[in-house]
Amino acid sequence: MKVTRRKALTGGAAVAAAAATGVFKPALANSEPIAVGYLPAFTGPSSSTGIGIGRGTELAIKEINDAGGIKGRKIELVMRDTQSDPTKAVNAAAELTRRHKVSVIWGPLNSGETAAVMANIARDKVAHLHPCWVDTLIDVKKYPLAFRSAPSNQQIGHAANHYVVNVLKAKKVAVISDASGYGTASLDAYVPMLKQIGGEVVYASSVDANNPDLKPELLRMQNGGAEAIMPWSVNAGFLARIINTRADLNWDVPIVGQTTLGSGQTKALLAKPENWEKVYPNNFRNLCYDPSGKLPPQTVEFVERLKKAGVSTSDTLLWWIACGYDGARLVAEALREGGTSSTELADYWKGKVKDWKGIYGTITFSPENHNGFADTDVIMCQANSLKDGAFTLAPGYA
Amino acid sequence: MIESILSHGIALGAVYALTGIAYNVMYSSSRVFSFTAGTVGMLGGVFGSVFISSMGMPVIIGFLLTVIVGALLGLFIEFVAARPVLKSLDQHLYVLSTLAVSLGMLQLTAIFFSTDAVPFPRIIPFETEFFDQKFWLPILACVVTVVGIEYLSRKTLVGRAFLAVAEDNYAARALGLPEQGLRMASFALAGVIGVVTGFAAGQMMFASLSNGPLFTFYGFVPVALGGMGSNRGAVIGGLLLGLFQQMANYFFGGVFASVAVFVVFIVVLLARPEGLAGAATARRV
Repeated sequence: MKVTRRKALTGGAAVAAAAATGVFKPALANSEPIAVGYLPAFTGPSSSTGIGIGRGTELAIKEINDAGGIKGRKIELVMRDTQSDPTKAVNAAAELTRRHKVSVIWGPLNSGETAAVMANIARDKVAHLHPCWVDTLIDVKKYPLAFRSAPSNQQIGHAANHYVVNVLKAKKVAVISDASGYGTASLDAYVPMLKQIGGEVVYASSVDANNPDLKPELLRMQNGGAEAIMPWSVNAGFLARIINTRADLNWDVPIVGQTTLGSGQTKALLAKPENWEKVYPNNFRNLCYDPSGKLPPQTVEFVERLKKAGVSTSDTLLWWIACGYDGARLVAEALREGGTSSTELADYWKGKVKDWKGIYGTITFSPENHNGFADTDVIMCQANSLKDGAFTLAPGYA
Repeated sequence: MIESILSHGIALGAVYALTGIAYNVMYSSSRVFSFTAGTVGMLGGVFGSVFISSMGMPVIIGFLLTVIVGALLGLFIEFVAARPVLKSLDQHLYVLSTLAVSLGMLQLTAIFFSTDAVPFPRIIPFETEFFDQKFWLPILACVVTVVGIEYLSRKTLVGRAFLAVAEDNYAARALGLPEQGLRMASFALAGVIGVVTGFAAGQMMFASLSNGPLFTFYGFVPVALGGMGSNRGAVIGGLLLGLFQQMANYFFGGVFASVAVFVVFIVVLLARPEGLAGAATARRV
């Protein structure tokens, strides 16, 4: 091809224009870290969850960066402590999306703060992954770039109902909740689900969580012939009173329900340690010991890695760490395989994440379903079996 | 059932009565209706649990330290929430100032203590089959407080000075009584009564942040039922409230127990706005 003076000038002008408009910039930017927004609560009342999930998140990012990062670029967590305060979470999310221009946010890590930031993150069109259970925190139409890497409350309730009716074979069930928003919403949602799978609800009521005497309620359950009690509350005091009152009545029906039943706070409020027998809270199959006391092979390998990295499991829960680890890996994988823009990340999650094997659970997203967690991974465990952050499967699971 | 209604009902009633007395003690000396009474009560359980369970102090030391904290809290409330609004009592600014201090204390408790209930230690190291200490301790605290206040007001000069300020603080000041000092003392006393309430109720209700709003609302009911400033009315109102609430708990159940309590409360106030033991106030026309 003959190079004329006109062609040379045109070419030179194009190169100059390209340089001026930044077309060459990506070559320079490719070595820069990829900023990932991260909104844990490391202080305040929800900090125990934040600290646990945070350990897993930070380990995953460290492993990915140590292995070379994403196509040569390190991941940089732009972290803001929400201090368990929804208002601070809103401000922090705005700072991440507008000032730091992140294309993806992992968190907040509890429902109250996530509810506060969902609309803002959606409005700024930033890809969003969170592990919060409240059903309304995923809505494909309202929040098209938001995805959940944990079970929804529907799945939590379904797993408990399934265990009571199909595994324990208890047909007559008492469902009690505290009078909080979570408690009453759970009662309203789970009682029809229970009836649908053949359970007979002989008692269903919301009670003031501060009521120091729950004996009248348990007597009503007993008179109704209840074969299992299902309390729905995150209030450790309320749950401990139910467990203690069951013991006072010398009644040994199983108590099946929310994860707080197995928390250290609930344990501390029990009148006697043996009151915790036959109490089965929700948990996750991959992170529970089987009846012979063994964790699944991939979890054993994960625990070994945690030990090597110096991540403690004794003062937190293994499923919190695994949840953080999987969340960070889902973000990293989307950055590597999908791209770094918010749309590319969301497209990757909804198009390519199918039967994704995490430590916490198996995840499948689709364009219509941004709730990824597999139903079968939500199970029940024995409340009094906590060892190194993990529980033993409740009786009846294979 | 009867045993449970009586034990829980009277113990709860004693807690409400004590909170009502704390409201009254502050009101009598200042005409400030301080909504901090319930929150200070909650802090009695919190500090008791921290001193005895967390810091491992002997029960008696933990109790004395809790009482001192209660007195200091009372003085703080007088200085921050009551004194600045005394000149404009008719504007009811104390509602805002005392609620603000109360909310501040709740928030600090949530941050530095816990939002969850925490166990409260056994105070007396023996077990009884019938009528456990978690029931009789609040009742004992109520009896001791009522007797103590009666003794203070009838047999001591300071008590009579309290009565004088409660009756007419302008006249009391004109007679040379140290109105400000007496007001500070009454707030400190209310703080002590508050923390003793939470401490005595700790085993029954745990050391819990949520006891703050509960004491504030249910402690207000006996004051309104019994008549503002009437300790006798607060005790009778409190005990009746506890028993009625517990009966409603058995006969109606669930959240309806609270509804039943407030229905009765409204009915009584409609019938007797000045309260069961209160006298109708004369109004100059």
